[in-house]
Amino acid sequence: MTPALSRIWFALVTVFVAATINFFLFRVMPGNAVSALRCRACTPQLREALLNRYGLDAPLPEQFVRYLDQLARGDLGISIASGRPVWQEITGPLLNTLPMLIAGTLIALVLGVISGVVSSWRRGTVLDSTTQWTSLAFYAMPTQWIGLLVLFYVAAAIGLPAAGIQSASLGVLGEPSMWDLLVDRTAHLILPALTLGLGSYGQYAIIMRSAMLDTLGEDYILTARAKGLRDWEILRYHAFGNALLPMVTMVALSAGSIVAGAIVVEDVFSYPGIGFAAVDAIGKRDYPVLQGIFLLLTVAVVVANLVADLVYVRIDPRIRSGRVAVG
Amino acid sequence: MDQRSVSAAGGHTRRRILAVLGVLTLLLAGCSKGAGGGGGGGDADNVLTIGTTYYISSLNPFVGIETQDSTAYSMLYPQLLQYGPGLKLEGDWAESWDESPDGRTITFKLRDGQWSDGTPLTAEDAVWTIETIRKHAKGATASMAKVLAGVGSAEAPDPRTLVIRYDQPMGPALANLQQMYVLPKHVWASHDTGEDGSGLTDFKPEQQLPVVSGGPFTITKYEDKGTTVFTPNPKFYGPKPHASAVALTFYTNPTAMIADLKAGRLGFVETVPFKDAAQLKSLQGFTIDSQPGNEVTNFGFNSSDAKKQNRELLDPKLREAFEYTLPREQIVSTVFGGEAKPWADILSGWSGDWVNPKVQPLPNDVDKANQILDSLGYPRGTDGVRQVPATTGEHAQPAHPMRYTVIVPNDTDYDGHLQFTLLQSAFEKVGVQLTEQAGGDGTQAYELITAPDGKYEDADMFTWYWHPYIDPDFNLGVVTTSELGNNSDTGWSNPAYDALYEKQRTTVDPAARRDLVWQAQAEIASARPYVQVVETNLVTANSTGWTGFEPKLFTLGKAYYTSPRRA
Amino acid sequence: MVASPSGERVVSVPTRRGTALRLITGNRQTVLGLCALGVFLLIALLAPVIAPTPVNTGFANGFSAPTAVHPLGLDGGGFDVLSRLVHGAQTSLLVGSIAALVGMVIGGTIGFVAGYVGGRTDGVLMRITDYFLVIPDIPLMIVAAAVFGQSLTNIMIVIGLVYWASTARLIRAQVMSVRQRTFVKRVEAMGASPLFVLTRHVVPQVTPLLVANTVLMVANAIFAETYISFLGLGDPSVVSWGRMIQDALDQGAVVAGAWWVVLPPGLAVTLVVLAATIAGQGMEDTLNPRLKVGHLAVRRFRVRPLHGALDRP
Repeated sequence: MTPALSRIWFALVTVFVAATINFFLFRVMPGNAVSALRCRACTPQLREALLNRYGLDAPLPEQFVRYLDQLARGDLGISIASGRPVWQEITGPLLNTLPMLIAGTLIALVLGVISGVVSSWRRGTVLDSTTQWTSLAFYAMPTQWIGLLVLFYVAAAIGLPAAGIQSASLGVLGEPSMWDLLVDRTAHLILPALTLGLGSYGQYAIIMRSAMLDTLGEDYILTARAKGLRDWEILRYHAFGNALLPMVTMVALSAGSIVAGAIVVEDVFSYPGIGFAAVDAIGKRDYPVLQGIFLLLTVAVVVANLVADLVYVRIDPRIRSGRVAVG
Repeated sequence: MDQRSVSAAGGHTRRRILAVLGVLTLLLAGCSKGAGGGGGGGDADNVLTIGTTYYISSLNPFVGIETQDSTAYSMLYPQLLQYGPGLKLEGDWAESWDESPDGRTITFKLRDGQWSDGTPLTAEDAVWTIETIRKHAKGATASMAKVLAGVGSAEAPDPRTLVIRYDQPMGPALANLQQMYVLPKHVWASHDTGEDGSGLTDFKPEQQLPVVSGGPFTITKYEDKGTTVFTPNPKFYGPKPHASAVALTFYTNPTAMIADLKAGRLGFVETVPFKDAAQLKSLQGFTIDSQPGNEVTNFGFNSSDAKKQNRELLDPKLREAFEYTLPREQIVSTVFGGEAKPWADILSGWSGDWVNPKVQPLPNDVDKANQILDSLGYPRGTDGVRQVPATTGEHAQPAHPMRYTVIVPNDTDYDGHLQFTLLQSAFEKVGVQLTEQAGGDGTQAYELITAPDGKYEDADMFTWYWHPYIDPDFNLGVVTTSELGNNSDTGWSNPAYDALYEKQRTTVDPAARRDLVWQAQAEIASARPYVQVVETNLVTANSTGWTGFEPKLFTLGKAYYTSPRRA
Repeated sequence: MVASPSGERVVSVPTRRGTALRLITGNRQTVLGLCALGVFLLIALLAPVIAPTPVNTGFANGFSAPTAVHPLGLDGGGFDVLSRLVHGAQTSLLVGSIAALVGMVIGGTIGFVAGYVGGRTDGVLMRITDYFLVIPDIPLMIVAAAVFGQSLTNIMIVIGLVYWASTARLIRAQVMSVRQRTFVKRVEAMGASPLFVLTRHVVPQVTPLLVANTVLMVANAIFAETYISFLGLGDPSVVSWGRMIQDALDQGAVVAGAWWVVLPPGLAVTLVVLAATIAGQGMEDTLNPRLKVGHLAVRRFRVRPLHGALDRP
């Protein structure tokens, strides 16, 4: 087996193991989806009937086999809370979260590049230290705290909506135009994305700075300068290129932190995304949805790792098959 | 590849990647949760946007159990009766009604009407609804079965007359019928299939919008955790709404909702956090309305005889001492920002003269509490904590200090942890040490409180709340033996009380029933399975551009959405 | 410096006397970080003495701006913010250090065993490690809180349990590389007992890295504690900085404009995390001056550090 294939195989095994353990994990918690309906007229008969409907009264191994069987057919099951197919419950929130995450990553990249460039271009000066410390400081701040600060100082000042994904009055009396919808959605995702971006730009700043310093020290840069190439062009053509690889790798690795960032930010800003859906499903003990979400997230992390691994191996010939002297 | 071309290529690729990502973001932003169908025409300015922290879980009345579901159902479906301003039961679909002298037959005269799709609305729909609920009372329609308790049969002698016969006289009959939603037979009958009517719970009206409605609105767009749009049903038999549409938006936390209120994006907010009320009252652009509400918070005791440890907590006298220790005034000002009042009854003030005026909260009197505990024979130990002497006999217990755990759920609309810290300091003064146990959400809290497995063996105490109904039947029933393992969180069981409860239930004469209800409340108040703490205020906010709100009619009457209008 | 078979960066620690001292003092960053941590530690230890008021006494019904008596004002419950901050230091630092220790013990042991024993055991242990690297941490934490209860001890154990995996990989790589070294092979060939090799060569090479990693873990753990409090899973009977941040959100500090409730706990966490991070980074730099990039990778992404992806010689 080539190294690439063996990694893919291990990834698959990991996903399977994770899915299995996730299945049992939630059922250890006290209470199930039906056990504590404090509803106005619930009777023990209703509860039994519901337990039976959702197959929750079957022994655990039997439930597990049923789950695997469904999974093999690509069926994630039916949500207990809403009765809709699980994939339907998940795609909505996921599509809400993704643009926010992408925007957040973009903001982080932009801030990181600026910070890295500034601090390396003026290496050793006060500006350099300040920039580095700032980026490190933001990285050390709890994300929900950044969110609170953004809510506090930025939201009202700029007049951006502080919560939700869509204005309450949009689309009430008729289908809103694509443009209106786009503008409204974008307005709502700016603050959460900003929070995410601020909290994570530190790592890109470091990579950028390091790449810049390395490049600036190379001989061919001196040559380029001597030839009259301006600083800006040096930046664009050389430094960025060297930073590209580790940056891309880092972005891929960021996929692994979807859950952490999403849950925190979505709670602070009431943003109905996948993190929020997960917390909600936990509260309702909606096992099928929970299993679906965490399967999705596990796969996302594993795939991100895998992609980063494989891409890196292909792009940088020096570390094919992992046997190289580094330094 | 030499370094330069790698870098150059890298630079170009990088920009391309950024560009692609940028476009993707915008596209996804547009794709995410696409907008639903549009409604009828109308002035966009006249749309009432309501912010809430309660969501609509299902448009199927046999499935939905959340508070907000009831609002949706009352807007969509005819109810024989509803609550009107002043919280008085009045006719909704019923123009008038007649009760037979023996209390066993109620005859309703119904208004002329149509469903939103033009089909005539007749008493047949009511009969079908009632019979279907009764048919599957142990299956699909179990959640609605309670409102028809005692019903023997229903008939429609003519399309505008409905006769309901009861097997026994039922005191809360009319109040119960308020909670029945009449469904369109021509839409629902075909779903009465499967085992014990399971097709009825499988049916999802939200997948066939707009909902065929008989109420003042129909739903043209539904998002449980987003915005649901109610547009007026022109064929409604009752008073038409003033607003051209109602958009109900769910918020995961009140801070976000208040932010939108301040920004002028909401017309009405259903639940303003208690502690924000004072601060918001001074701002422009909206009015804060605060009036006595129907949330009653409690301090509950595990009152079951199955309790294993700390059985001294089963003693009503000890619980009386604990009530003297309760710092209600402090809780009112610190936890609720003044938006509550000390309370002792299991019903809220909304129940009007069902509330026994003789049931009053005990004052906060630490000396009295200490006195009682001393007299019960619990001396203070060297560390200041009282000691309970060993007991003998059937449930013998070793000597132990008065250290108890209080389960604090996190599904409350007030700061339960803050309230606990106040309780903790208060009880220190009488030599009792309390420890907080995080209760988690409602599901988990219930499991912990009735642990293990609904046997009521482990828990000591808890703090929670109820939103009592106006008619006393349900909440008086919560503490009966038949609710053990179901709605009973205290595990209290008293056969004499059970008999009293049954009696008030089957008494139709209001005056006679009221006496029984008062008696029942007095019993609960003296046995103290719960010590009620406060009755909170209902704090709502509306923008100054709107008026005519009836905050109390939330889930209780159609005027809640139909009466607000532009100022 | 050599690459381990799986590519984790490894370091070569010269076994000299005074390595421990050099680890602590050899780098300005480390000194700065450790000093800052020391200050916080002092504050935490002296909390009951220096807190201006008892922590559970309420002074008013709600928010109150800073005054001379209450330098950081009162929070939504009427409690003195400075007192809560100071007591919170105790909790946060305690949770941080013990959780990091738990993680170090578990991760270090597993990594050590895997690296030293190799073969099948290594394979199995690494698969388990992979799972823990990949599992979303939230369900583990929520389930643990629900099943075992929300107490401080449980929280410390849970954090350690969730975050040990990257330490394990690191230690394993280091152990394996040490065993591969020529001089170790020579010593073994000369008939030295495994115990001798272990104590004289492997352990001294691994320990400094473990220490550096543990300091970084403290940063992680304190961060994770704010996360747990945020989810409402913290111990309700103690104050912690994470709890204070969450209370700020819950009590409507934003609506009330109470900046004195919002700023202090977040700043405190930031400073401590910063201090621990640069201290740990400084230690790693001391061990290998060429490792300049990639420290931040240890925290946020609980995935394998890539084959020196972020190392630029």
